[in-house]
Amino acid sequence: MTFRTRLLVVYTLSVVASVGMVEWLVTRATRKAFERLEGQRADFLVAQFQREFDRRGQEIVRAVRDIALSDAAVNVAISSDNSADYNEASAMARAHGLGLLELVSGDGAIVSSAEWPVRFGYVEDWLTAAPAWKPGVAFLRREELPDGFTLALAAVETVNAGGRQLYVAGGQQLDRDFLSTLVLPAGMRVLMYRNLEPQFAPHLLAGTTDQAADAQEFQPLIERVIRERRPRVATLGSGAEAETVHALPLAGIEDNLLAVLLISSSRRELVELENSLGRNGAWVAAGAILTGILMAAWATARVTRPVRRLAESAGQVAAGNWDATVEVTSRDEVGQLAQAFNRMTHELVEQRQRLVQTERVAAWRELARRLAHELKNPLFPLQITVENMQRARESHPAEFDEVFREGSRTLLAELANLKQIIARFSDFAKMPAPEMQPVNLNALAADTMKLFEAQFAQAHVTARAELAPDLPTVSADPEQIARALRNLVLNAIDAMPEGGALTVRTMPQGAGARLEISDSGKGLSQEECERLFTPYYTTKTHGTGLGLAIVQSVVSDHHGRVSVESQPGKGTTFRIDLG
Amino acid sequence: MHRIAASLFLLCALALTAHAATRPRYGGTLRIEIHASIETADPPQLGPGMPDLAPAFSITRWEAGRRAAYAADEKAPGGRPFLDAVEVELGRPPREQAIDLDVGKAEMIEIPPSEARRQPAGRRTWVSQPVRVMLLHFGARVDDPRVREALALAVDRAAIFNVLLQRQGEISGALLPQWLSGFAFVFNAASDTAKARELAAALPAQARSFSIGVEDPALRPIAERIALNARDAGLSVSLTPQAGAADVRLLEVRIASADPPRALAAIAATLGLAAPGRTDSPDALYNAERALLDGFRVVPLFHLADVYGVAARVKGGAGISPLGEWRLENVWLESGRP
Repeated sequence: MTFRTRLLVVYTLSVVASVGMVEWLVTRATRKAFERLEGQRADFLVAQFQREFDRRGQEIVRAVRDIALSDAAVNVAISSDNSADYNEASAMARAHGLGLLELVSGDGAIVSSAEWPVRFGYVEDWLTAAPAWKPGVAFLRREELPDGFTLALAAVETVNAGGRQLYVAGGQQLDRDFLSTLVLPAGMRVLMYRNLEPQFAPHLLAGTTDQAADAQEFQPLIERVIRERRPRVATLGSGAEAETVHALPLAGIEDNLLAVLLISSSRRELVELENSLGRNGAWVAAGAILTGILMAAWATARVTRPVRRLAESAGQVAAGNWDATVEVTSRDEVGQLAQAFNRMTHELVEQRQRLVQTERVAAWRELARRLAHELKNPLFPLQITVENMQRARESHPAEFDEVFREGSRTLLAELANLKQIIARFSDFAKMPAPEMQPVNLNALAADTMKLFEAQFAQAHVTARAELAPDLPTVSADPEQIARALRNLVLNAIDAMPEGGALTVRTMPQGAGARLEISDSGKGLSQEECERLFTPYYTTKTHGTGLGLAIVQSVVSDHHGRVSVESQPGKGTTFRIDLG
Repeated sequence: MHRIAASLFLLCALALTAHAATRPRYGGTLRIEIHASIETADPPQLGPGMPDLAPAFSITRWEAGRRAAYAADEKAPGGRPFLDAVEVELGRPPREQAIDLDVGKAEMIEIPPSEARRQPAGRRTWVSQPVRVMLLHFGARVDDPRVREALALAVDRAAIFNVLLQRQGEISGALLPQWLSGFAFVFNAASDTAKARELAAALPAQARSFSIGVEDPALRPIAERIALNARDAGLSVSLTPQAGAADVRLLEVRIASADPPRALAAIAATLGLAAPGRTDSPDALYNAERALLDGFRVVPLFHLADVYGVAARVKGGAGISPLGEWRLENVWLESGRP
């Protein structure tokens, strides 16, 4: 990963983290505010419903009072024979909009019942025995009907006429019809669980719609309110279908919990608002992040551009272009770094020039020293021979011819030696470009080994060839590779003056081939290994020091690689890798 | 003297006027409304009501479920009836009948027992003897006599009689009414909720639940009250209008004859009971009736009379017999032809 990429990632992560944190904080604060408002709204709605509920109770109280004050009720009260009045309650209930109405005589016997007409004569103890009800106050009551028990919002009034008493007990069933008549704000619904059975029963949950599907959802809340007899608030459902439910216990006149009123306020509006806020927040956050990334990319590019140029320039320097410089565009640390780089490259160029100059001088000196050394060796015999010939001419003329003949042979021999030395230098100087062609290194090695058989025997060297049969051919100049191989073989023979073992190996190396020449000589030190391919460097008492330099030059011209591995006392191995 | 002569003149005038008012008149159509909706293709030939019009009247028009028209038969065995015609409107609810009588659209209407005491002051009524026995008839599915006895004991006849029947008719535990047999009071008609509860408690739970079928909507309140009584005894009773599918039926059976043995035999035949045995003496008749009631397969509840409301311009005495049969051949209308 590049510095710029890393920087961009860091910037991006920072932007995302920052924007995310802000988004989270804003959303959280907003949600809390909305929740608080929603809670206030729900409380208001609950209070409104309770007022509506109380109002309905007052309506029932008024209706019952009107009935009690009616002539019909007075007639029933004063009648000594109520057998003909058993249908009166139905007519009165219809006239006053009550679903439930009973006319009960002073002894508690039902005279007429609107909800269960044939129940006349049965006794309603709750009206007469230490009544817990109060006139003018609506209350909840568990009412028995032909098809079971129901819950009623009821009121009782008494009629006293002609020395007789009549109870007028009327009310409304708290069922779906009752709930559907309540005026409710939008988004609100009311359900009522009638606590008429010991265990929770779904059919006792009444609402304005079919509540069978909701019953299980409400069950835990209802059971908790029944158990604790305290109001509870819970959020049921999830998402836009969620509702805030206020569960209120409703007690009867005997303080028995008869019902749980469930005032449900839809959270759809709140959820949609939160969703909208979340969506908008997400868009804003995404925009901010995108903008942040773009700005980070721009800043990263701006910050890393000088660094990148610096790296490119450093790369150029590494590649050998020591003239590479960096444009200085600022005065900050990066600018200072660029200036330092430029100074460094400038210094490097100058040092290189000085080094080149020095090396050139040293090379010329070395060349001069070598030439002087190489030329001095044959020149000395030449001088001695000529001086011997002069002394023989002057002192021993009779032996001059003999001395001349021997001297001439020596002179010719040394001249030939000089000529050979000059040819070597000339060869190194005029190394030609290789002429590439497919070359089988195994054949080349075998030919070379055969060429040196006589010298191996003379030098007491045991030569062995370990040639890989599956060696691929390589593209090379066979003449130059053979020349390099011969130099290495000669070098190995020279490294074993008292004989030894020489091994030539070939082996596949990737797509190319490797050629190894190992000897069992005295080996080389680490320093010698490092300088071994330097021209004119030699560890031998004779030689020009050009043999391994020529090897390296040949291998380099073939885009190959030559290396040496050696330890003192353990012999030396040269490796040539060709592609 | 003059005073005496004037008094005699006045008495003669009053006598003549009274004679004119009470003298039968020919003509006119008597309009009758009944609750029953008879849907048969042909007019009924047997039973009380319209079949009783023959032979004094003969049918001239029949619209099943709606109305029937009868015309006076000039050659009737007892002589031509005073009325020219009788029109019977079928399927009229009791409340509409009462209104029609009040506004003069009908001259003769049925009055259900629950309304008998609510009639306006001065309204004329024709009341028969108690000629209908209201009873519970258990089907074959209720084979445990304890169930039947429990229900029989649970029914509070007095409450039903006082309120729902408005004390019309008689409480009875017998098939034949008291006026016909003379021993109806011997059959127990009192409720005993405690004993009924005891019997019900000994029953398996499945046997304690059964249904009462009541086809006539007018009888439904009575059936509901019976169900309420049954609940007090620990029985679970539901109501169904499909009498055929019910375990018990609440129904009325008309006394078809003024002869007790024949009346008892007719009741047994109607209910699908075994024909009574020997009934040639009061004791035998009693035993025969007792035998029919043993096992509580049939539980008589009440004996009810037929009650008709009659317009003031209907003259000529009661138009129904003690058995509730229509006897309109001697009835005339005040506005008929002189």
